Amino acid sequence: MSHSKEDRTAKDPPQSPSGCRRIARLAGQQPPPAIRTRRLAILSIAVLLIARAGNSHAQSVAELRSLSLEDLASIQITTVSKSTEPLSDAPAAVYVITHEDIVRSGATSIPEMLRMAPNLEVVQLNATSYAISARGFNVGENASLSNKLLVLIDGRSVYTPLFGGVYWDMIYVPPEDIDHIEVISGPGATLWGANAVNGVINIITRKSSDTQGGLLTLGGGNLERDVGLQYSGRITPDLTYRVHAEYLDYSALKDENGSSADDGWSKPQGGFRLDWTPTDNAVNLEGDIYTADENPNGYIQGRDAQASWQHQFQNGSNLQIQAFGDDEGRSATGGSGFKINTYDFEAQHSITLGINDIVWGAGERNFSYHFENTALQLVPPNRDLNLVNLFAQDTISVTNGLKLTPGLKVESEPYAGVQYMPSVRLAWKVTDSTLLWSAVSRALRSPTPVDESIREYSGSIDVLNGSALFLPEKLTAYEAGARVQATAAGSFSISTYYNVYDDLRSIEPSATFFPLQFRNMLGGHVYGVEFWGDYRVTDWWRLTAGFNLQHENLRFAPTSSQIGGLAWVADDPNHQVSLRSSVDLGSTVTWDTSFRYVGRLPDPVVPAYAEVDTRLGWQATEALELSIAGNNLLHPQHEEFFEAGETDEIPRSFYLAAQWRF
Amino acid sequence: MTGPGARRCALAVAVWLLALPAGMAKAADPNPLELAVKAAFIYKFQFYVSWPPRAYTAPDSPFKLCIVGDDPFGNLIDQAVSGQRVGGRTIAVARLSSVSVDDHCQMLYLGTEDPRLARQELSAVDGQPVLTITDAISDDSAKGMINFVIADDRVRFEIDDAAAARDGLPISSKLLSVALSVRPLP
Repeated sequence: MSHSKEDRTAKDPPQSPSGCRRIARLAGQQPPPAIRTRRLAILSIAVLLIARAGNSHAQSVAELRSLSLEDLASIQITTVSKSTEPLSDAPAAVYVITHEDIVRSGATSIPEMLRMAPNLEVVQLNATSYAISARGFNVGENASLSNKLLVLIDGRSVYTPLFGGVYWDMIYVPPEDIDHIEVISGPGATLWGANAVNGVINIITRKSSDTQGGLLTLGGGNLERDVGLQYSGRITPDLTYRVHAEYLDYSALKDENGSSADDGWSKPQGGFRLDWTPTDNAVNLEGDIYTADENPNGYIQGRDAQASWQHQFQNGSNLQIQAFGDDEGRSATGGSGFKINTYDFEAQHSITLGINDIVWGAGERNFSYHFENTALQLVPPNRDLNLVNLFAQDTISVTNGLKLTPGLKVESEPYAGVQYMPSVRLAWKVTDSTLLWSAVSRALRSPTPVDESIREYSGSIDVLNGSALFLPEKLTAYEAGARVQATAAGSFSISTYYNVYDDLRSIEPSATFFPLQFRNMLGGHVYGVEFWGDYRVTDWWRLTAGFNLQHENLRFAPTSSQIGGLAWVADDPNHQVSLRSSVDLGSTVTWDTSFRYVGRLPDPVVPAYAEVDTRLGWQATEALELSIAGNNLLHPQHEEFFEAGETDEIPRSFYLAAQWRF
Repeated sequence: MTGPGARRCALAVAVWLLALPAGMAKAADPNPLELAVKAAFIYKFQFYVSWPPRAYTAPDSPFKLCIVGDDPFGNLIDQAVSGQRVGGRTIAVARLSSVSVDDHCQMLYLGTEDPRLARQELSAVDGQPVLTITDAISDDSAKGMINFVIADDRVRFEIDDAAAARDGLPISSKLLSVALSVRPLP
């Protein structure tokens, strides 16, 4: 986002959706992460995957043998966390991006990695910003309005509590240090909480014991230049550490007229991770610090630290405790900006009693924000908010292969008070290779400070206000799916959903028209299908395919003013297709190519597009890997979102990289 | 997957096991994931080792994977190799009480943790192009060319590259790079 764009926006007529855009952007221009609820990566559906550290989401031998040697060697064979259900048993639409997928793709940023998930929509807006969502409600330039997704890094929530969206430019993990990313489309509110409405993205980093040694990375191309240095060592047999530092530099993109969008940016960053694994325990400390200058006048900074402890009791039950603190800020031209401090504490206990696998826990989160009021304000500008939750879930083994999982989360929210998020999931393992599942769940997108307390001026006119009457946005989701290991070489997953939304955010006039207010006079349903499959043609060639279809049918209440229309609520392709080919050429060369097709966005209109990325990697010596990548190769440039006068063109790009291990 | 009956039974057993020292309870409970990972490794090793033609009795004879002594894997090994080929050869799994040169194994897995037994079996194929795999052997003189170890809660392995080369089995650098430790070529 650029300063000039801010200015342009400020001149927009106030009754247009631009007011909202501006909120989004402002927010977009500023701060932090974290907050709102989510449940630590632990249990149940989530758990299942997570807990298995390493890339061990696979559990059948057929699945395991398709992993690389490195991935096999990194599978944790016992896990302190009790959640040991394998991915193949998870009653949810879960796609896992493995470490190998990430490294082979050459993706350097989290959003680019997420393009590999067939159950996500990923839209690049400009050099710094992306809009990412699952199952609809992605709104391009209004990135902050994509507010129904929960994103976690090692259990630490990284979406901003101010408006529920994610500042993707504030999140960076060196690709080498990501163990895997779990992408769950559909609600996960019972375990994770109130922003896990349309999906959960869980980024799991590698333990420092898995990255022993040093690594120097140098990369450069026409859009970005990176340098990274890290070292992992062992202090005692069960105590290891990693320290890392990076410098990232991104070129400005061009706008639709071919002139520079002036949105280049650069970001120095550093972090550490400490793992201590005495018998029956796992202790982990990690932290990050970063700052970035974003043209023309933006600035972001942040730091975070977290600690977690897992303990396995003699009776097999498991306790996990985690705490984190997070401190972030953004500032933009004209003095707008904000800072947010978050503290979070969670505890969770899991135990097996007869046919019941029970997980229960509680969490408390406190966040305080300070908002630099300009034409865009939060009133009051400083607030301290608290969130408390309790949850329990029981996975009941009803008969051989049939598991019923009722769960409930009760959350006390700063604006909405006590809320209930129940779910029931059913998993039926028909055979060792076939799982059928279904679920009914309720999830909420809780009111945020922007919904409640925003005040936007255009000159001296108070144009748009948040409302204390704003209600949580509500989803009731009906899902069913199947996951099949069809042959030793091939597996696929198909998920269907019917989502019913109530009380979605709308903009309504006051008695005097201005100020407009956020209210909840929109609802509707969205249904769709997600498919993905994986086929190992030979031992050296793997194909992955993904496809999704969705239909959105949203309606304003009859008495709604319908200001802004649906254009600022959702702008989603009704279908997407992806194909990926991973080839090993001998033992030292890898060649990966991915194709994606994204259907037309209806309003604002963005034409459908297809693009191809490819990367060739060569392990020149044991210590040195060289690679060359070309991205978005089919066209000189393409658009992923449109906003008059502010559309960035995503160009064809190349990237050369060298990695030296020592 | 277990039925509720089995589940209840498991609970009863679990309660009883609580009375035992933790170490004993663990020993009595082989970890299925550990076994599955080992089975997957055993399947994959063949892609990183070259066998000389003399290792086979005939150009079309199957690749023979021999499991000697206790077989902890159940059908996991069979699942791991099912439908797979090595260099155009089908894979045959043979379970033997002890091994000899006449068994013409290309790969030999020894389930025993007893170094004396392991040494005895290893010596039976000494000098032959047989990739020998031992499991959790701590005595250097009783380790196969590959020896599984559990390190940091992961299945890892040590490689004796010198012994493999001596018996005519070059091991790829890729596999060596994943090993926990390597006894290098002399």
